[in-house]
Amino acid sequence: MIATNDPVAPDDRQLVETIRGGNAEAFEELVRRKTSKVYALCYRIIGNAEDAKDVAQLVFIKLWENLARYDPQYAFDTWLYRMVTNVGIDFIRSRQSRDNAVNSNLRLVKTSFDEEQTVTMQRKEIESVFNDISSVLSPKQKTIFVMREMEDLASPEIAKILGCRESTVRNHLFNARKLLQQQLHKRYPEYAQLWRSR
Amino acid sequence: MISCATFRATFPVSVDDAQVLEHLRSCDVCLTFAVEHDPDVMFRAVGGGDPIPPGGLDAFVGDVMREVRMRSGSRSTGPKESALWRRIAIAAALSAVVSSGALFYQSRSAIPGVPLTIERAAMTSVIASSRPVIENYESDSATIIEVPTAAGEDVQVVMVFDESLPADL
Repeated sequence: MIATNDPVAPDDRQLVETIRGGNAEAFEELVRRKTSKVYALCYRIIGNAEDAKDVAQLVFIKLWENLARYDPQYAFDTWLYRMVTNVGIDFIRSRQSRDNAVNSNLRLVKTSFDEEQTVTMQRKEIESVFNDISSVLSPKQKTIFVMREMEDLASPEIAKILGCRESTVRNHLFNARKLLQQQLHKRYPEYAQLWRSR
Repeated sequence: MISCATFRATFPVSVDDAQVLEHLRSCDVCLTFAVEHDPDVMFRAVGGGDPIPPGGLDAFVGDVMREVRMRSGSRSTGPKESALWRRIAIAAALSAVVSSGALFYQSRSAIPGVPLTIERAAMTSVIASSRPVIENYESDSATIIEVPTAAGEDVQVVMVFDESLPADL
């Protein structure tokens, strides 16, 4: 932790300036401050705790190596999230090329289910369903969906992070939702009935 | 956190409101209610929160800082050392290639029978005269290197290279 008499903690930009001045303790403070956000995004994009931890650590190491490039006129979190999405998307692509979506259809399609059965929502189950069916999304679609739906970032913010237009973000979101619904119908009909009954 | 009643009253309209989302992510009963009204919010329920990496925050930060210190340390000395070793290795490889090329060229040019040096020819002559092995040799596939003696007498065969000969000759 940084030793400071100031009761008000330095903001991200001030912290970055201190780190640039050669203070490694300030970097440790920044890592502590951002770990939860970085890890959460990595975990939701990647869907595996251990891999997410490795990727999050890699993000911080890249952050350390590239801190000189940060332009303080932009929000630090936007810059950090861009790094997370780049590293995360690279990781998913390399994993996809390894696995080649072998696991995407491992869950047997249910041929029948009780139409009257009520769906009790369990977060762990939803998380598991998402990890399963989101394998059909492209890395970018998944990243955008996670940032919007789970990290609650607004479309303009996501566009800034990814360096694209808002309309691109909206298109990706639209397609991601459509693909996820299709997968739910195909592989989790008990959940898909919710859309049918609307 | 807002109450279930407030959530149900405001849910469909203000789904992006932070308090509504907080309730959605912590109340199972209202989650089921919300998904029945708008299934699109289903995956929003697993968002939010402050997840901690496996092993805990301290271990995570410790690992990052250890790696950062290691990289910072190796950056100040590593590249210089490795560049020096790389230069030495390249220089050694280049000199080996040049010398072996020169030796090969010399040995090839020596085939027509021109002595490399008088001294070497004389020494070879001594060795050959003390242990005569071959007096006559004829072969289409052999490479024969002949070196005359220092006194200019008969040519003495000092080396025969013939792949058709048995290895244990």
